[in-house]
Amino acid sequence: MFKLFILILISFKLSASTITVALASNITYAIPELKKEFNKIYPNINIRTIISGSGKLTAQIKHNAPYDIFMSANMKYPENLYKSKYAISKPKIYAKGKLALLSFKQYDFIDIKKLLLSKKIKKIAIANPTLAPYGKASIEFLQNIKLYDNIKNKIIYAQSISQTLLYSLNATDIGIVALSSLKSDKLKDYKINKNFVEINPKYYTAISQGIVLLKRAKNNKDANSFYEFILSKKAKKIFKNYGYDI
Amino acid sequence: MIELITNLDFTPFLLSFKLASITTIILFVLCLPLAWYLANTKSKLKPYIETITALPLVLPPSVLGFYILISLSSNSPFGSYLDEVFDIQLAFTFNGLVIASIFYSLPFMVQPLQNGFESLNKNMIESSYIAGKSVLTTIFKVALPNIKPALLTALVITFAHTIGEFGVVLMVGGSIEGQTKVASIAIYELSEGMDYTNAHIYSAFMLIISFIVLLSVYMFNAKEKQKLAGLK
Amino acid sequence: MINIDIKKPLFGVEGVMNLDINIDINKNEFIIISGNSGSGKTTLLRCLSGLEECSGKIKVNNILWQDETNKIKVQKRDIGFVFQSDALFMNMNVLNNLLYVNNDKNLALRLLDMTNMNSFQKTMPSNLSGGQKQRVSICRALMKKPNILLLDEPFSALDNDIKSKLYTELLQIHNEFNLTTIMVSHDLNEIYTLASRHIKLYNGIIIKDENLAELLNNIKSDDQILLDAKILKIINKNNQEYAIVNINNKFINIKIKNKKYKLGENLKIISDELFI
Repeated sequence: MFKLFILILISFKLSASTITVALASNITYAIPELKKEFNKIYPNINIRTIISGSGKLTAQIKHNAPYDIFMSANMKYPENLYKSKYAISKPKIYAKGKLALLSFKQYDFIDIKKLLLSKKIKKIAIANPTLAPYGKASIEFLQNIKLYDNIKNKIIYAQSISQTLLYSLNATDIGIVALSSLKSDKLKDYKINKNFVEINPKYYTAISQGIVLLKRAKNNKDANSFYEFILSKKAKKIFKNYGYDI
Repeated sequence: MIELITNLDFTPFLLSFKLASITTIILFVLCLPLAWYLANTKSKLKPYIETITALPLVLPPSVLGFYILISLSSNSPFGSYLDEVFDIQLAFTFNGLVIASIFYSLPFMVQPLQNGFESLNKNMIESSYIAGKSVLTTIFKVALPNIKPALLTALVITFAHTIGEFGVVLMVGGSIEGQTKVASIAIYELSEGMDYTNAHIYSAFMLIISFIVLLSVYMFNAKEKQKLAGLK
Repeated sequence: MINIDIKKPLFGVEGVMNLDINIDINKNEFIIISGNSGSGKTTLLRCLSGLEECSGKIKVNNILWQDETNKIKVQKRDIGFVFQSDALFMNMNVLNNLLYVNNDKNLALRLLDMTNMNSFQKTMPSNLSGGQKQRVSICRALMKKPNILLLDEPFSALDNDIKSKLYTELLQIHNEFNLTTIMVSHDLNEIYTLASRHIKLYNGIIIKDENLAELLNNIKSDDQILLDAKILKIINKNNQEYAIVNINNKFINIKIKNKKYKLGENLKIISDELFI
């Protein structure tokens, strides 16, 4: 019995190595395909993912959470980590996030301004701008189309971009979510121009999302491999399919 | 230091205080008859009712919040009825928080009151009925005055519990400044946004207020016990 | 006139019994109900007062308190009830306990006077002794000026010396207020001191119903009295044996004539002369 146990232990050591990647929640939908592609090239590297809000992850990293790589929803957090030496590589943009208006009810999305101003829309879900990069971009969008002042009393703030999605699908009349979430299997019944529409990127500063190698990954060849992969052409193609700009 | 404190936005605290006060008052009115009924009934339904009133104790606040959100939003049958007929929206409003808090803090009002009533001498209560007094008069003139510690516990614990409410508000509130952004949410957002200085100040403030309130309750309880035991 | 004809299942240690009482009570009677534990004495009192449910009929002075369809609730019944203990309103002083029932201060003071509790008006119940509490309970029960007074073993927890004082006070009240009193007790002293009628219950039914006024009138004087005694010590003085004997907690020195006696032995002593 004991021998079997030792054998199993050894086999684990021999067969695969694991790296831990901390991901901003908007990447949830793209990550399975990214992992699949990566494992085609590196079948023996096991990717463990931790998915949460970028702010939370940053705080955890600053408390020495055991992560090798951090893929944030913005540049600010990775830059902060690099400055404070928790990250060992200069932040590089791996994708640019995009916004979409989403509702589980059906609307006429042709004139967005008219729609948002109309009485039909009583509650609009937006990620808290002080906490979520996508929320900040959402407010920027509303200000740039000169709607913010007229509809700000309709806004309710979600704690994260994931909660914004929750609200948009269950509780509010409409919400501004990450475009990438529309690529999820669970939303495949939602029709463009009926349930959702992509927001024109000209209305907000591109949500540049940065990746950094963390302290823990120093001299970790496998971590480096994944890092390089995310910045590779192959990965960029996947990101594009999932509603990101590159 | 003083500057930091005077620069504090007190709105979240006032909001928490307002929410806790209104919830406590409404719960008292609702739970007084319920606690009395549970303390006096021999019905077979009693364990079922007690289980239902105790559920909010056991359910994770986020679960409770999720269900309340779904039921109150204008998209639910109930929510859309209120919306279309009365133009009332409950999700993401202060009133919605009151309803959520009523569910969340229900056991904290019912249980101490029920325990208090159960500990009363049955003969004393019966003496009041024999004296010709109604149940209502008996509750207010005999029962409640004799369970002052339990009553105070019920009121204060309900109040304190609502002040500390977080998970439910996180789901149902929408963090709207001046309406649903209560102190616990404000502190959470400060710490999430890494504004640790203000997070510290807000938290310390809450801690001190809570300490003072609870201390006064326990001191009052001690005094009452002395009085009842009869200081000659 | 009280007519009781009720039935109720009683759940005791030995299973289910049935309380089955059919009785008429006349005005001004002082009835004591005795019986073994679980025989239904307290239940009977509680059913009469409306504190417990039962089936059957209760009629008081031609007013139907209960029948198959209707039941007058507790609050409306013309009764006062004195419980065994712990029934005073602990949050009110003695006077307020009485005034709660009826705001008649004169009546309250009169009752307190009759029970010698005048100086305790402002005292809180927690500061009263057992006997004092029961006095206040009796006063409080009478504030409603009921015609019927019910008492459930009111004196069982008290000392003997207090009891005799309370018997006197209770009788005085019974007479002055023209009450019909029904009391549960199993103290023989109480039965013979207070009651005009004695009802004994056993397993829910009446097994004895005696009119004590008659009984007492018919008691023959015994020619001899039999006393129970216990030998405490045997001493020898001048070749004569004496036994120190305990009769009713009094110690007596008696010369032993013939037999041999042992310590702790129980005897019966016959005396044929008694003086008061």
